[in-house]
Amino acid sequence: QPSSQRNSTPCEWRRRNRPSMSRGSGAGYDRHITIFSPEGRLYQVEYAFKAIKSVGVTSIGVRGKDSVVVVTQKKIPDKLIDPSDVTHMYKITKVIGLCATGKGPDIRNVVQKARHAAAEFRHQFGYEIPVDFLACKMADQFQVYTQHAYMRPMAAMCMFIGIDEERGPCLFKNDPAGYYVGYKATSAGAKEQEAVNFLEKKVKGANAGNEFSQEEAIQTAIACLQTVLGEDLKAKELEVGIVSSDNRNFRLLKTEQVEEHLTAISERD
Amino acid sequence: AQGARRKLPWPYVTRVKLSTGTTIMACAYKGGVVLGADSRTSTGNYIANRASDKITCVTDNVWMCRSGSAADTQNVCAYVKNLVEEHNMQRTNCDPGMADVKMVANVTMQLAYGNKDKLSAGMIIGGWDAKEGAQVYGIPLGGSLTRTPFTVGGSGSAYIYGWCDNTFREDMSREEAEAWVTRAISLAIARDASSGGVIRLVTIHEHGSERKMLQPHEHPACHDELPARCRESIKA
Repeated sequence: QPSSQRNSTPCEWRRRNRPSMSRGSGAGYDRHITIFSPEGRLYQVEYAFKAIKSVGVTSIGVRGKDSVVVVTQKKIPDKLIDPSDVTHMYKITKVIGLCATGKGPDIRNVVQKARHAAAEFRHQFGYEIPVDFLACKMADQFQVYTQHAYMRPMAAMCMFIGIDEERGPCLFKNDPAGYYVGYKATSAGAKEQEAVNFLEKKVKGANAGNEFSQEEAIQTAIACLQTVLGEDLKAKELEVGIVSSDNRNFRLLKTEQVEEHLTAISERD
Repeated sequence: AQGARRKLPWPYVTRVKLSTGTTIMACAYKGGVVLGADSRTSTGNYIANRASDKITCVTDNVWMCRSGSAADTQNVCAYVKNLVEEHNMQRTNCDPGMADVKMVANVTMQLAYGNKDKLSAGMIIGGWDAKEGAQVYGIPLGGSLTRTPFTVGGSGSAYIYGWCDNTFREDMSREEAEAWVTRAISLAIARDASSGGVIRLVTIHEHGSERKMLQPHEHPACHDELPARCRESIKA
């Protein structure tokens, strides 16, 4: 450090070395979650979204008339890792599933909180937690992290699926900002925007989101993932989670079943 | 003032606890477990519920018989369900709805022992799982845990210990086990004032569980009375 700078007070040093405070600059606000930028942005929350994209995994969720499907990539970063342990699909209750995209440790935290919230609800109120209520509780928790100075947001985008007794098939997505809403079809992760463009073309019309049969929903989701990734996927590289009216339990499709759907998609094209 | 209060039944009734003075039992047979219970819930001399269900489902493959204070056992069971449900969610290779019987029994024991000064609850856990097959665990008042081939509980159990010890066999078939449990409970109903009503049976095996209810005319000791030629009817 030059001697002139060493002799000045910390405030003067910082004033001299801070980049220009032009509008649109994020410098100075990146560190504190409780502070809005002059444009009204929360940079930490935006960085959380970037952290999710940086993992490089994309997930798709599609709602049908009597089923809901979530598909995600099964990327195994290291040949030595046991593939049977790698998963992004989590059972929150017997009938609610979660497909989480983002940083693994944050995902584990979210899964534990969701499981605990669901079990507490069941114990306290005597009936199974509805999907939208669970998504709401998790969104409230995410919002808390965007206001507390000592906690950062979770780098996890969560898609909750389940068949609700009153609403029917439900697909809810939670993001690190604390926003949550129900979807007819959605995606999360690295290729989120491209996938949403694809899905918007498929889900059209007045009855959109309520007309896919179970096969159509699964194949739409897998085809979307194949299109945005630009490569043919093998069954072993996919995880497909599903709930349906005839079997409300959240379960993963077996490799053979995924193969059948992949074959059906390639024969269609 | 004391005399005036004694004339009204209402304060007396609220002071007497709602209890499942009862007969409950469970027995393991080849391939599964049969749980049985009577259906009388009494508040003092008043039968609050003559068709109550004392066998509660913890998971699809593990059920619990409850005796003692109805409030205590219902809430212990609710806590056990909650803890077991949450525990099972974390296990990756767990079938939904199935739990290790030993785990359920231990969770119940921890609650019973940890709150022994507050609770008046005797429970029997029975179930089937792939690891150890058919299992019966008894958790009496103090909060101890013992695994046995069969066990009885509740106020009516005192009258049938001898008969059960004498007639139990380890390798019964499902029908034999259900008949044995039915006969034991009907004998207890015949002698215990706090037991009565219908006999409820739950049979748990590898492929699931079934409930049965036997009305008073269907079990040997009719209408709480032993028939006149009782020795013949028991042998039959």
